[in-house]
Amino acid sequence: MGDITEILASALRVTMPVLLTALGAIYAERSGVVNIGLEGMMLTGCFWGAYGALHCGAVNGCLLAILMGMAMAGIHALVTITFRVDQIVSGVAINILAYGLARFFSMALFGMATTSPQVPGLEKISLPILSEVMVLKPLVTELSPLIPVGLLLVPLTYWVLERTVFGLRLQAVGENPLAADTLGVSVIRYRYAGVLLSGAFAGLAGAYLSIEHTRMYVEGMTQGQGFIALAAMIFGNWKPFASLGAAFLFGFAEALSFRVAQNKVIPYQLIKMIPYLLTIAVLAGVVRKAQPPAAGGVPYSREGE
Amino acid sequence: MDRKLKIRLLRLTAPVGAVLFAVLLSSVFLIAIDKNPLTVYLTMLAFGLGRMDSIAAILFNATPLIFSGLAVAISFKAGMFNIGVEGQYFIGAVCAAWVGFAMPGLPAVVHIPLTLLAAMTGGMLWALVPVYLKVKRGVHEVISTIMLNYVAYSLVHYLIADLFMDHNQKIPEGLGSALIRTPKFLESAMMPTIHAFMALWGVELPGYIYVNWFLMLALVVAAGVGYLLNRTPLGYELRAVGHNPLSAEAAGIRTETVYIKTFLLSGAIAGLTGLSHLLVFYEYMDLDFPKNFGFNGIAVALIGGNHPMGIVLAALLFGFLSRGAEGVQTILGVPMDAVVIMQGIIILSVVVVAGILGRYLRRLEKKEAP
Amino acid sequence: METVLEFENVTKRFPGLVANDQVSFDVRRGEVHALVGENGAGKSTLVNMIAGLYRQDEGEIRLWGEPVSNGGPRGAIAQGVGMVHQHFMLIHRFNVVQNVILGFEESCSRFGCLDLRQAREMVEELCRCYDFRLNLSVPVGTLSVGQQQRVEILKSLYRGANLLILDEPTAVLTLQEVRALFENLRRLTAQGKTVIFISHKLDEVLNIADRVTVLRRGRVIATVNAMATDKKQLAEMMVGRPVLFQLDKPVSRPGETVLEMDQVVQGTDAGHHKLNRLTLTVRRGEIYGIAGVEGNGQRELVETIMGLMPYDSGDIKIQGRSNRGRSVRDIRAGGVAYIPDDRQQRGLSLAMTVWENAVLGLVRSDRYSRWWKLCTDRIRDFAARKVREFDIRLSSVELPIRSLSGGNQQKVILAREMSVDPELIIAAQPVRGLDIGAIEFVHRQLIAARTAGKAVLLVSADLEEVLSVADRVGILYNGAIVKEFIPGELETETIGEYMLGAGKEAAVWTES
Repeated sequence: MGDITEILASALRVTMPVLLTALGAIYAERSGVVNIGLEGMMLTGCFWGAYGALHCGAVNGCLLAILMGMAMAGIHALVTITFRVDQIVSGVAINILAYGLARFFSMALFGMATTSPQVPGLEKISLPILSEVMVLKPLVTELSPLIPVGLLLVPLTYWVLERTVFGLRLQAVGENPLAADTLGVSVIRYRYAGVLLSGAFAGLAGAYLSIEHTRMYVEGMTQGQGFIALAAMIFGNWKPFASLGAAFLFGFAEALSFRVAQNKVIPYQLIKMIPYLLTIAVLAGVVRKAQPPAAGGVPYSREGE
Repeated sequence: MDRKLKIRLLRLTAPVGAVLFAVLLSSVFLIAIDKNPLTVYLTMLAFGLGRMDSIAAILFNATPLIFSGLAVAISFKAGMFNIGVEGQYFIGAVCAAWVGFAMPGLPAVVHIPLTLLAAMTGGMLWALVPVYLKVKRGVHEVISTIMLNYVAYSLVHYLIADLFMDHNQKIPEGLGSALIRTPKFLESAMMPTIHAFMALWGVELPGYIYVNWFLMLALVVAAGVGYLLNRTPLGYELRAVGHNPLSAEAAGIRTETVYIKTFLLSGAIAGLTGLSHLLVFYEYMDLDFPKNFGFNGIAVALIGGNHPMGIVLAALLFGFLSRGAEGVQTILGVPMDAVVIMQGIIILSVVVVAGILGRYLRRLEKKEAP
Repeated sequence: METVLEFENVTKRFPGLVANDQVSFDVRRGEVHALVGENGAGKSTLVNMIAGLYRQDEGEIRLWGEPVSNGGPRGAIAQGVGMVHQHFMLIHRFNVVQNVILGFEESCSRFGCLDLRQAREMVEELCRCYDFRLNLSVPVGTLSVGQQQRVEILKSLYRGANLLILDEPTAVLTLQEVRALFENLRRLTAQGKTVIFISHKLDEVLNIADRVTVLRRGRVIATVNAMATDKKQLAEMMVGRPVLFQLDKPVSRPGETVLEMDQVVQGTDAGHHKLNRLTLTVRRGEIYGIAGVEGNGQRELVETIMGLMPYDSGDIKIQGRSNRGRSVRDIRAGGVAYIPDDRQQRGLSLAMTVWENAVLGLVRSDRYSRWWKLCTDRIRDFAARKVREFDIRLSSVELPIRSLSGGNQQKVILAREMSVDPELIIAAQPVRGLDIGAIEFVHRQLIAARTAGKAVLLVSADLEEVLSVADRVGILYNGAIVKEFIPGELETETIGEYMLGAGKEAAVWTES
């Protein structure tokens, strides 16, 4: 029993960056902008999170990471929404750019290209009452405060999308931008908002990785988690709660792979493939039909060029 | 001015302008770390172009990018986005590695082509999965290839750490355990460098640079892709499907077949990507086998405008940038990574300029019509 | 009478063309004002300026005496303009309520949070007020076209529109739905709303409009009272010369059967077939016309013949050979030419050059390629020859075909399809969006082909076109041919009833 909660707790920890980024991806994709630059935005968050934490404390580190994630997202927005360049192309470039920027600033600010010094983390929290129950202990004690924050962002995202004016309009520009435009809903503004939000979430996810998870910045530490987040979002059918489920499933597989690696039953490299293979299976309709936003990936221009 | 001439001139100068703009923008970062951009660029030029070993290094750097750039471009032309070149060349390389160490007794004239064939087959197989899923199940190739890249990383890691692991290696002194790597490649599988050939022309290349015959192969493949696209029925159909699959289908072109052929071709070329390093520089495949040629291939294809000639030039540009970066790092102490930033900015400015230019040209063409 | 909208010397230019040239006219309160003109006459540009999507380059547009604000679509809406676009501006995944409030959520939201219950009540109230019957909670994508149009009008009314602009509102409606729409419009004008009605169907215009403004090549030709004009006069003003509503046509001499469709069933979603035991034959030397309201299986009919869609049961035979298991290429090689309804999507590759488009799908033939080599010189020669033969206006065959006008694009398709010397020609909406000159050209080509002994299947949403061009007509309703006749045999009123399912299939039809 204790073993299971132990695994669940570790699954929750690895789920968090994927979940946060996936939630961000929902905003961008629902507004009609595909963002495969999330990986790079996350990496940017890792670096600036660590830098901020080192110099001004962990909380400010998180804020700086959010800001820098948004800055990278701003580039993606500028290139894809204003200049209407192919969104995949821009995303690829963002990833390359983010990788270079992180190395460059790491060299310039930490004096090393690949790692930062140890950074302070956020103050850990324990949930009252629940932590008295022995079985649950690993799940509810010594938590990063970002974990409850991340979990709360799931219903919040759902509420924003379904119950607010902002969410209604955001979805409208992703489904039928021309229609939204004729109603005076600014396609550009809402798509910028969607992309910037995705950058903020990815930045925060990066900060979680460097400040809370490893306590330092390490080059390339995102290891494709931005793409896994994209996968979780697709697996979750562009919906927040389902994306949480998908992210947790992937996290669980990952947590399990640590265990299995110790036992050497199945090579852990093979377990690492699971999220990717699952995503492909979902898209192939093996599990169910995917329903992406209707105008996703298509640049919008009023005069139709 | 004559409008046609204007269009042609714009097409040629635009990418150059975009690169210059990127250089300008990158200067900001250099100034931020208190370096004079002009000195940096001049040093880069002098070091990168002024020495024979630099030229050779640029050619060596550019070789894999020509392959991966072509692989990406050919899928682009058919209206698809092969982000999976990364995974395809990893699988191709591991197949070539296996042929390279596991088949003793073959003469080099058989063994080398066999490794190439293995690499191409591996790349094709890895490309077959996404295109099959696209054609039969409607899975968008961008997502499936991204996912397959990570599957490929893990699979290759597993293969060299487990199935192909060299258990007979001499464990170096001071190390407790065996290194994770394949057995050494046989001599007959190694691609020779072009040093002897160049010596015939009186050019002495330094021994520590591994520019090799894969460069020539890359140029031949580039020419072949150019011919295929513009001078063959398959190339025509490929472009027709790329521009508008609906009309191609209605006209009787078998779009699914074209998709499959294109992706297999793309995968085959992708499979060759890592070999210029693997079969020349490395003697075995291990975890240091270079990553990111596939992703950089996307950049090269974009900057080269998906045109074979442009791709060769863009690959050389990238080769020059990384060689020049080595120079400024040793000479001026500027971090090499300034160059990776520059690459990122170059891609963005090239695609933005290309997009704007494309719309502008379309307007010009409209004026052209009565 | 009070003037609602006024145009004064308004000019709007696009790269390479003047869409509106010194346009002046006015619209009065409470009237239905029709704007008529051929495709490309500048109607859409004009209304897009009223709706705030475009801005004029010169001149002034006044709404209720005030210059049109340059606040874009929102500004126009604030001034009481409601636009119902030809292609509905609906979010298919949203329900009716969400679609109606989108963009104007102030009255049913607080601090940015939606009050969905209140929104629903407001929309229900509107529906009661104007007697619109709609299911508010299903995604609008599942509604019928007529219902979707009602949602569009509802949207405008919700925004307090006093001037409603309807762009080609009847193009996609059944006759019944058109009648219902006209009733609704009369009710609206009776309550003091003003309607601008854009159409090129002159009969409808004369039926609903009070006044008519005719546009030609971006210019206003005249504004006339509907009572004081007739169809012939309007058509002449639209085109700029007398128009013959009759085509010169030699007598049809039908020969053996070329196309035979026998009990074809296609598509089985939710127990509803797209093609429902469709049976027809087309013979050599005749044009068989398909009449019917769009969406009754026209696309499926054409695409199953071409092999672009599979069919479930029954059989299609072309010159005696079954279509089953054959590819598009194979069917075409058997002597079938295809003019698709969506020229730009299905017929051409817009980014490719004119000469490349001239052989789309044909490059595998011996004429244009040798195994692995494309004979580009020969293709260019061929294209240049066809340009002369079909009088295609262009400056160079090296240009992307997108730079050509619609008529010239259609001529390229015709030239290509006729070049294979087909036995059967499938022409789907072959003149949609063309000007009258090009329309005549296309019709003459089809008639010449049938007179030369080819079989032609003509599918059109325009009943007049079918009646004047075809030798035999089948009425397509709900995926089946419900009536066959020879033009002149039936009254238009009777044909209309068949198009609405008055035949034996009517029992099956239930309105959703």
